[in-house]
Amino acid sequence: MTEAATTAVNTLLAQTDSDIASYLEACVHCGECAEACHFYQATKDPKHTPTYKLQPLVKAYKRHKAPLRGVLSILGLTPPEVTEDELREWEPLVYDSCTMCGRCTLVCPMGIDIAGTIRKMREGYAAAGIVPEGLTRARENVERTSSPMGVTAKALLAQVKRQKAETGLEIPVDQDGVDYLAIFSSHEIMASPEIIGGYAKIFKKAGVTWTLSTAAYEATNVGVQIGFGPLARDLVKRIVDEAERLGVKYVIAPECGHAYGAIRWAGPNLIGRPFKFEVIHIVELLDKLRREGKIPPGKKDSRKMTLHDPCQLIRRGGVLKEPRRLLSDSASNFVEMKGAGIANLCCGGGGGVSANERAEELRLKAFEQKLKQIDDIGDIETIVIPCANCRGVFEDGLDEYESDYEVIGLGELVAETLRED
Amino acid sequence: MTLLEFVEGPFFYFSAAVFIVAALWRLVGIIRIGRKKDIAPARGSAVTGFFKGNLRHFFPRGLFAQRTWMHLLGGYGFHLGLFALLLFAAPHIAFAERLFGIELWPAMPRWAFIIAAEISFAGLIVLWVRRFSDPVMRLISDWDDHVGSWLTFLVMLSGCLALQEAHDSLRILHMGLVNIWLIYFPFSRLMHSFTFFLSRGATGAVYGRKGMNP
Amino acid sequence: MKNFRRFIRTAVLLTGVLMLSGLLLADAAQAQSSVRPPGQAAPLEEDSGPSNALGGASDADIWRQIRGAEDMGGPDLPAAPGRNVPLYEDLMRELQGGIAGGTSSTAANSRLIQMLGEDWRHIRRDYILPYAGWVLAGVLGLLVVFRLIRGKIRIEAGRSGKYIPRFSMAHRIAHWYLAASFIIMAITGLIILLGRPLLAPYIGKDATAIMASASLQGHNLFGPVFILALLIMIFRFMKGNFFQWADLKWILKGGGLLGGHASSNHYNFGEKTWYWIVVIVGLIMSATGMLLLFPWVTDVLAWHQISTVLHAGGAILLIAIALGHAYVGSIGMEGSIDSMLRGEVDENWAKEHHDLWYEEVTGKKVDHKTGAIAQANPEAAE
Repeated sequence: MTEAATTAVNTLLAQTDSDIASYLEACVHCGECAEACHFYQATKDPKHTPTYKLQPLVKAYKRHKAPLRGVLSILGLTPPEVTEDELREWEPLVYDSCTMCGRCTLVCPMGIDIAGTIRKMREGYAAAGIVPEGLTRARENVERTSSPMGVTAKALLAQVKRQKAETGLEIPVDQDGVDYLAIFSSHEIMASPEIIGGYAKIFKKAGVTWTLSTAAYEATNVGVQIGFGPLARDLVKRIVDEAERLGVKYVIAPECGHAYGAIRWAGPNLIGRPFKFEVIHIVELLDKLRREGKIPPGKKDSRKMTLHDPCQLIRRGGVLKEPRRLLSDSASNFVEMKGAGIANLCCGGGGGVSANERAEELRLKAFEQKLKQIDDIGDIETIVIPCANCRGVFEDGLDEYESDYEVIGLGELVAETLRED
Repeated sequence: MTLLEFVEGPFFYFSAAVFIVAALWRLVGIIRIGRKKDIAPARGSAVTGFFKGNLRHFFPRGLFAQRTWMHLLGGYGFHLGLFALLLFAAPHIAFAERLFGIELWPAMPRWAFIIAAEISFAGLIVLWVRRFSDPVMRLISDWDDHVGSWLTFLVMLSGCLALQEAHDSLRILHMGLVNIWLIYFPFSRLMHSFTFFLSRGATGAVYGRKGMNP
Repeated sequence: MKNFRRFIRTAVLLTGVLMLSGLLLADAAQAQSSVRPPGQAAPLEEDSGPSNALGGASDADIWRQIRGAEDMGGPDLPAAPGRNVPLYEDLMRELQGGIAGGTSSTAANSRLIQMLGEDWRHIRRDYILPYAGWVLAGVLGLLVVFRLIRGKIRIEAGRSGKYIPRFSMAHRIAHWYLAASFIIMAITGLIILLGRPLLAPYIGKDATAIMASASLQGHNLFGPVFILALLIMIFRFMKGNFFQWADLKWILKGGGLLGGHASSNHYNFGEKTWYWIVVIVGLIMSATGMLLLFPWVTDVLAWHQISTVLHAGGAILLIAIALGHAYVGSIGMEGSIDSMLRGEVDENWAKEHHDLWYEEVTGKKVDHKTGAIAQANPEAAE
């Protein structure tokens, strides 16, 4: 057994708690998960069956941790040791062909959270250094600048300045004593900085005090995507330290799926203590302000729109009704796609897959199905996507398939359709 | 001691003991691995989620059922038929009453037994045929899946072959296979009959804390 | 493929274990009194009845003795006045003049013998039982001879390594579902039909009785499953199984066996004929089988008699063709099992066996003289 394999197996076993153990024990190999996986549906290649992606972990568990393994090993019925070759063979399945979107979890008759288990598997892979190049590069960027796309504080300030000029509104930076700290995904800062101006407009209307921070502006947590616990902890800690220093009551998670889960659900567990503030998703916050009457809607957008359900927000984050309530106030011609809601198809690029060039072909194939789902509605002009990463994947994919739907964020739409005074 | 007395007596007691001890060992073993306490502030109840998760996963959601109705029907048919046979077949109840010395529930009539058996066999065959003719199923299936299916099939088949209750040999055959099945059970994937509760519950609890439907 | 072989091994092993343990148990149990009256029957004491009764002899034995001609090895009856061979023949001769068709027990007619029953008995004993076994043995022999002469039918151009879909998951499930229930019905049915002449001499009457009882229960139980499977198969496979122009040419070329290439669509003439035989004979089997399962739906005995004869004859026909079908579908022809296991077939297999279908789904032309061989190489096929 090579050193990498040993490290990987040990980390995998350490990750296997009673939840994971019950998942691995309960799988009856029924194959339903293949029906749920967009990568299998796109390629019809059996190796993309979600439960098959767990095989190295299953083997390690059965050999080293499963109850009754003693009796079975006497009979020679425990699997052989996991080899490094095997781990490497599975690496594309673990990183390229899983966005941890959790549709398989939804369809599994045994209720096995395969998506969450893949997350644990990645811990083993990351510890052993068996990680795709694209993600390694993202990690190096993060270690240098705290942002996977290499966005520096200087770049942020430049965008803030531009938005200030565009909106004519004050955009507070590094201000203490306010209620909210807003963080963004680097994709938003670089590709759709209007959202910063949008925040300014909405919060002014609502009379909410907020700030940006040059010490903690990046919400994307590459550590969670790669499955590297220590890095994930450092990234969360950076935000927590800054938020607690500024003394804010809330940190606003941006329109970015994994970022939300990383700080809201994984965050306290990563740093090992509860936060002294609350984490709220921007969509939750907008919905709350809207219901409190602080940001009344104005003239509705009349374009024919549909909503893409970002997996980490809707299926795995539980923010299902909020985006729809906000949309019904902001759009007059909103249509749901077939299969919308909790079981909606993934865009194909979550969970770090979009940062992984090797997976591009597969990702585009998976996106084709998403596109078909939208084409099937007919005459759609605009797709509302409350996730910056999904938006990036959509833009890539629409470009590739020469489709000209417009893609916007939900916050942007809400900001545009606020009632004018 | 006749062979029949042996398979219904000492052999059966042995198998039942192995079944109970090993199954408990395995379940307790899984739970004992333990899990870290989740310290993220909860939005809902993990305990409610545990039970909701267990109920929720009885039915596929979204548009999946449209695509997988065949296995769904097969799976439900097989399992419901099997439970009906296991719990309500007259010879089973008679056997259990003799074993425990107490009176149990009434048995189902013979026609119901036949229908339950038909449905159960039909379902099992569909599931097993799918297991060897679908590329996905062939990739993910291992020997345990096939042995489990076959043993269960043989137990059911031998039970039905003994339906006339006129030949001790057929009863011996059925009981013998039941005993082998009982011993095999706790070491195999047949344990899903118990572990499904844990896995559905685990997912349900995590989702429940997030205040959502698993 | 590896998985499949492993599964076949497991299946064979388990079936072997079952059969072996069945035989062993049957043998062991024979030593203990193994035949009991069915479940709810009142307990019968050994040698009960009047002192001059026949003791251990069964009703069937007594009837056989009365008929005299066919001794199946039952216990000899004590000599009794009036019980001899001529009695039975005399009786029959006397009855010939009477009504041949319906039952006889009416107020006007006190006879309890239906004459057609005698014909029925002779058809079963003199034709079905002796020939059924020989027909099946003959088919197996033919297959062996065919194998020796023709050998395994290979894909002449070799495998291309590229596959085209042939049967959907639904088709495969429908097929194997019917196949699985058919195999169970065939084995149990053959034991019921031929157990007495073929098994009893070797494993003894008691063991045969046990296997017959088990088979009867299994046959009755799986009958409805078979009907369900048959109906699913009929609807699932109907498309493409109607006869077409190409089928006539196929017949004229003897399916390619007489040399030359016989073109065919998705299914060739042989497959289509097999489909319709399964449909027609299968439905007859289902109907007659249901009548035998629920005999009280009619009291016209002739229906029951025709049913048993048709049921046995149809069974032999289906089993015989199924043997050939299974042979060509598996070890007899390279590449054909793929269509039912993977749901897809090798391109070259499709070109050689179902060229018209191949052209239809791929839009490419097949050249029978050079094409297939020239395209054996996957790169060249591009």
